Amino acid sequence: MIDKASPAIGRVVATEQKPATPHQFHFWTATETTVGIGAIVKVEGAGRVVYGVVTDGFAYSDLATPLHDVVGAEGDPARVVDAPTARQEIRYWTAAVLRQTPEEPLQPVPLGQVFVADDADVAQALRMDAFLYSATPTAIPIGLYTSAGRDAPVYLDADFLMGPEAAHLNISGMSGLATKTSAVEFLLASIFAHFPPHKGRIAAVCFNVKGPDLCFLDQPGDLSEEDRHRYERLAVPAQPFERVKLYAPLKADGVNLNTLRTHPDLVGDVEPLTWGLQEVVDYAEVLLNRDDIDAKADAFIDFLRDRVLGRTFDDGFGTTHRVQSFADLDRLFRSIFDGLEITAGGRSDTWRTHHIATMRKVRNRLLNISTRCKGLVTDDGPASDLPWTEFEDRTVYVIDIANVDPLGQDLVFARVVSRLREQLERRELGVDAVVVFVDELNKYAPGDGPDTYVKKMLLDISERGRYLGLVLFGAEQFRSQVHRRVVGNAGTQVFGRMDMDELATPGYQVLTPATKSKLATLPIGELMVRHPHFTQPIFVRFPKPPVLRGRDGVERFPPAADVPFDDAVVRHLVRLDRRIRPNQVKDVIADREQDDVRRALAATRRARPDDPLAYFRKVLGSRVTAEAGAPREHRAVQPLNPISDEPY
Amino acid sequence: MMWWQAVIDAGAVPVAFVPNPAALRASKEERESAAADRATLVEEAELQAHPVPERGSARIPQPVSFLAGFSRWAVVACDGIIQLVDAYVAAAVRRRDAGGILHTTSGRNRAFAVAPLERMTPALRQVLEASAPDIESIDGELAGHPARYLETVDSTVRRVRAGLERDVAEHCIATLGAEEWLLLDGLLSRSPTVARHPRALGVINSHGTQFLEGRGLERALTLPSGHRTSVFTVRGGHTRTEVYSWYLRLWPWEGNDLLYGLLRVEARPDPASVALASALSGWLVAERAPLATPATRWDRLLYPLHNVQEYLKARAPRDRFTARPRLPVAS
Repeated sequence: MIDKASPAIGRVVATEQKPATPHQFHFWTATETTVGIGAIVKVEGAGRVVYGVVTDGFAYSDLATPLHDVVGAEGDPARVVDAPTARQEIRYWTAAVLRQTPEEPLQPVPLGQVFVADDADVAQALRMDAFLYSATPTAIPIGLYTSAGRDAPVYLDADFLMGPEAAHLNISGMSGLATKTSAVEFLLASIFAHFPPHKGRIAAVCFNVKGPDLCFLDQPGDLSEEDRHRYERLAVPAQPFERVKLYAPLKADGVNLNTLRTHPDLVGDVEPLTWGLQEVVDYAEVLLNRDDIDAKADAFIDFLRDRVLGRTFDDGFGTTHRVQSFADLDRLFRSIFDGLEITAGGRSDTWRTHHIATMRKVRNRLLNISTRCKGLVTDDGPASDLPWTEFEDRTVYVIDIANVDPLGQDLVFARVVSRLREQLERRELGVDAVVVFVDELNKYAPGDGPDTYVKKMLLDISERGRYLGLVLFGAEQFRSQVHRRVVGNAGTQVFGRMDMDELATPGYQVLTPATKSKLATLPIGELMVRHPHFTQPIFVRFPKPPVLRGRDGVERFPPAADVPFDDAVVRHLVRLDRRIRPNQVKDVIADREQDDVRRALAATRRARPDDPLAYFRKVLGSRVTAEAGAPREHRAVQPLNPISDEPY
Repeated sequence: MMWWQAVIDAGAVPVAFVPNPAALRASKEERESAAADRATLVEEAELQAHPVPERGSARIPQPVSFLAGFSRWAVVACDGIIQLVDAYVAAAVRRRDAGGILHTTSGRNRAFAVAPLERMTPALRQVLEASAPDIESIDGELAGHPARYLETVDSTVRRVRAGLERDVAEHCIATLGAEEWLLLDGLLSRSPTVARHPRALGVINSHGTQFLEGRGLERALTLPSGHRTSVFTVRGGHTRTEVYSWYLRLWPWEGNDLLYGLLRVEARPDPASVALASALSGWLVAERAPLATPATRWDRLLYPLHNVQEYLKARAPRDRFTARPRLPVAS
């Protein structure tokens, strides 16, 4: 029922030209009103309550024609203010229906009084009551509805944000306003605080693809009192993430980290991310462009995976190989090519049914990545990798690939997401759901352009991830340029300030000109949200994230310059054991080959022994052999469905 | 159930006729003209034209209340040839605040039936008297002459409206603030109380009554824009109370007609009114903006009075006072 203490702020009016319908109505208010575009209002009459959101507004006076204003002012605009009487004006609003009670029979909106919605009304209007007040609530705060002078929390339904009913979130907005990243950071904090216990454990994997955006999620940022009030209203702790694990590849020198989080106070928390041949070959498809993808290349790569890598292998020309690194692979290829040229006298151009041209192509692609992504792809033995079976609850895993070659970014992205999918399928990840945040989605899943492996993988997540708990939070500047199935499968759509050109594209035709105008001028911290429970877009404000923004982070923690090789080795070992003294390390590595030192360091990092220096000294004493053991299980990625033009 | 529905149910013939206000206004003005008296100049020996302060330099009182009335009537049923009329009259005062916004401060309305009771058939009269809470009985002599009969009806409705306006004006005058002015749409002289008040003005924009003649009339009707005439007295006829009056031209008449933009102003019969005539005229000239469009007489209708009329029109019952296409009704 209407709260009689809350006065009516308007009245529904309907004419033959503009009638009230079951989905839309019009009302007028006083000239001075708190109502604006996006305000939620309530109408009561004829035994029903209708909730609506204001989508358009009009103001006009009883002026019959503009010419009469000119005549009245005698042609002088300055004299208009001399008129002693103000013309009768109207503030006339159009609202889209959010909900009617009772819902059946669905009828036109009654011509009743209009009230501003309070907190309970907002919950009703947005159908949040079903998941907010249930026995097992699944409400995730997304922000505060602040129109019409209100301050009401707005919630998303975890079942529709994280699966299984619907899943994924897509956020669009202009670059440079920190809205997209900030919104995702806040939402992750909100998810970690409110993810329903009955849905299990959750973690997030964030790819930092530009600058220092996500490098300081564990550091507190400056919050205003207003922001703290909003955190309080939303019941989200105004604190940085408690558990953040940051991974970054090494630079080409193999010892300095390729990230902007290299300040001495923080660099100790950064884990190196390095992969070897095995990891790369599993995702060799990523490295092959569209022209390269053929059955022959696929067959040869499969041959390498199944018969060569990690095994003792006779090349047929009298040499036995054990391929565990790119150097080993290069030796194998040289041996084969030499064998065909010398031993076979150049009479044959095939080896084990594989044509020499196919082998040369695959060799070029595979060895090229070790050059272009040196530091990420190494020959230092088994990889330094994410803890694929030990993901921790409420932990953010940041993978900083901002300074990695685009091909390497694709490789990291493809492998990490594929492994997440595999582990989730097996229920061996350590958590039940993972949010994967990918910025610059129009780069990885463009609406046009070639069907890359990464794009196919994003499509696969978009369409099937919700069953696994693999949830994609994608961000981009231009939504219209992202593949429509990636965008269309996002159950929750979020919009920050938008470019007018983008708003002119067909995807925004459902929005009124007033809503578009508001979108084009949205302040930082305000978003428009579409969610399966909301029948109309809703504007919300979210607080500034409780973490240090990237640009502030690099000011407060300036990145350290690259250190010399021996100092970098010292830093890595001291991280493992603070008792180690630099001179001890420098003595050990003096006059040693850098490749040997890197291998020893990688082995020590992996083993994490009680006495790191002793272990390091021991493995440096001899060539570090690769871990043998049983043949590695080939964890092939499930084949992806081919891209088709079929909508959603 | 409305009274006319009861009458129709009792045997009256349903009728839907809304008179053309312009046609009736012409008749009214003829009558006013016939009842007019001559004017006596009080400002000068001969009627002169005086420039009034420019719009920018005029002093506009604050606050000002504006009073206007409204009437509508329609023939809704026939008892034989006796036309039964449903009428509605209203009057309201709206006060202008410092921001130029008008707010209603008082108002009254009256809905009534108009019928020659003595000429009606007894049964229908009984039904009418039982169902209509308010009846104005009129002389039934003209019932056999439908056009003249409707003029009588119109006159009756106008008389009721004038009475209502007078009551509202007197109530307003009784509560008028120390610095507040009252500006009426129409004759100030209907009420002695109002006519003698130092801060009440009447503005007449229909000129069916001519008070001047000869050279004075010519000067009044060819008054330049932004000028007023000398002040003269108005008395007799329907104006039972003497008031001071003058003509004022709001807009240039050249290119239109003699009455274009011409107002007649009424003020209390006091030398102070003569002294203030130019200043008050300057105020009224300043009221030409905003234009009172789309009213047909916008050139001489002040916007605040138009606003009061629109307010009354918006609040009036509209179902039976809306003219309909007069196509034959199938039986």
